[in-house]
Amino acid sequence: MGGPLLEVRDLTVAFGPRDMPLRVVDGVSFALDRGETVGLVGESGSGKSMTALSVMRLVPEPPARIGGEIRLDGRDILGLPLREMPAIRGRDVGMIFQEPMSSLNPVMTIGDQIGEAISLHGRMTPAARRARVIELLTLVGMPDPEARIRAYPDQFSGGMRQRVMAAIAMACNPSLLIADEPTTALDVTIQAQVLELMTDIRERFNSAILLITHDLGVVAEICDRVIVMYSGRIVEEAPVEALFDAPRHPYTRGLLKSVPSFSETRERLYQIAGSVPPAGTIREGCPFRARCPLRMPRCAVEMPPMAAHGPGHRAACWATAEEAAA
Amino acid sequence: MTDTSGLLDPELDAMAEREAIAPAPTMWQTVRHEVFHRPATRIALAVVVIFVLVAAFAPWIAPYDPLQQSFLAINQTPNAAHWLGTDQFGRDVLSRLIHGSRNSLIFGLLSPVFAAVIGTTLGVSAGYFGGVVDRVVSRVIDMLMAFPELLLAILVAAALGGSFWNIVIVLTVAFTPGFARVARASTLAVKQEPYVEAAMAAGVRTPVIIARHVVPNILAPIVVLMTLWSASSIRIEATLSFLGIGTQPPNPSWGNIIRDGLNNMFATQWPILSGGLAITVVVLSISLIGDAVRDVLDPEAG
Repeated sequence: MGGPLLEVRDLTVAFGPRDMPLRVVDGVSFALDRGETVGLVGESGSGKSMTALSVMRLVPEPPARIGGEIRLDGRDILGLPLREMPAIRGRDVGMIFQEPMSSLNPVMTIGDQIGEAISLHGRMTPAARRARVIELLTLVGMPDPEARIRAYPDQFSGGMRQRVMAAIAMACNPSLLIADEPTTALDVTIQAQVLELMTDIRERFNSAILLITHDLGVVAEICDRVIVMYSGRIVEEAPVEALFDAPRHPYTRGLLKSVPSFSETRERLYQIAGSVPPAGTIREGCPFRARCPLRMPRCAVEMPPMAAHGPGHRAACWATAEEAAA
Repeated sequence: MTDTSGLLDPELDAMAEREAIAPAPTMWQTVRHEVFHRPATRIALAVVVIFVLVAAFAPWIAPYDPLQQSFLAINQTPNAAHWLGTDQFGRDVLSRLIHGSRNSLIFGLLSPVFAAVIGTTLGVSAGYFGGVVDRVVSRVIDMLMAFPELLLAILVAAALGGSFWNIVIVLTVAFTPGFARVARASTLAVKQEPYVEAAMAAGVRTPVIIARHVVPNILAPIVVLMTLWSASSIRIEATLSFLGIGTQPPNPSWGNIIRDGLNNMFATQWPILSGGLAITVVVLSISLIGDAVRDVLDPEAG
């Protein structure tokens, strides 16, 4: 099939009353090709996890209302009845969660948990399943997998559990892997291992990875493209080099400036003035305007459209759009 | 996917290699430690085992037929022929006690198990699905909880009469709300756990999530409750029989041995004493075991 693997168009997730909805995700559109790693960046409450959970239809509806369109391999995900979702979860889309310490069932052995994921999408004999579990554990770099399939999650460290989670997510060779802050709870050496593991998985199976994170270092390391979200909207989308070299949205600029660096000693880290507005409270104009150094009168009235700034580089800002046009 | 070699470079593999799995004490080791390091629990366990064996082999152990009456031997004090004496009909108290243990223990075990199964099903459904199911189940639980268990048992027994299955039903109905409430609360907590969401994300269907990821994780408090209520169940059965709405005479149960004895208290005290002692010892022992089970299953309480 041609076209992108995942296509999200005008995705909206809203809570609350219909006449005064709180849109935690507002008009998000992006696409993902096979073999591509895309970072979804933003601070807490920017709607990045909600976007990912919507792709899995794991956002509880009701109370949430999801609008727009999500196409996975051409299939309309939001149009499917919910009872057909379990067949897609795990088989077409795998997910790795933020909390390796609590994302495994404490009363099941890891072998059983991986085996459960395998047998969900295809029957096989217990012996074949066991062989596949060992194969997956070997793949994620688990030493001595034969002995460890009988171990319980509490016998593993965080990094090891994240490997088990990766094995579960990959059990059915999904074409899309969603990783929701997979390295946040891990220490730095383990982070490197998990990131390397994900890159290797992508190369081996030509799957796409949607990596949700607030860590720009992780993005720089493994992503091809970056999507920056702020207050439920995409504010900038760019290839990773372009984003780091020439960010076009004042929010992205602020984010990059506030990353600590070894080369320069500053007394205080840069910080973006003000704080994130509560989700969905800004109903018109640019959600970033209250904290924006480039603010202009127009920002309060009209949400800036995405303006092109180069190949694959778009940003939603009136000020920088004028810069580019000038 | 046939190539099974590790994806990571050898350096990282070596790093992972050094990380050994923590040795876990086996289930049996934990149980043995918790049960046997306290003498009280050891004794309690021995007592319960003895009573269960006695109940199981009652017809072979009891020296006399518990229903056989004899005018020649009424109101005897303990002697070589009748170790615990005889009652006003000349029936052997020890034999009645032994046969009565069958009724008492069966009620003690059966009702909590039934109540646990029904209560857990209701509670888990209410907690997991929420909404209307939760509201209906919770209100019914609240309503039943408003009655003391004994009062509820008396009400149902009075309405249905005192046959074996009626008493089981009575006790089951009386205990179900407690299980349902505990199961609902635990389910609400477990439902929030990331591993339940992770299972959904892996494509596990709802009934399987409930059976494999929710129920095993809420089982600990249910098992503890079951043990503790075995004791209550024996006590309530005795109370019902004492009040005349439990096990019907002439069939013996510890409760109606005391009831019969009460009418004849000034002739011989032995039926009351031995029946009361049997109930006390068994209820106390089961409660002690319940405490030990709680310590095994709940790391925070230990």
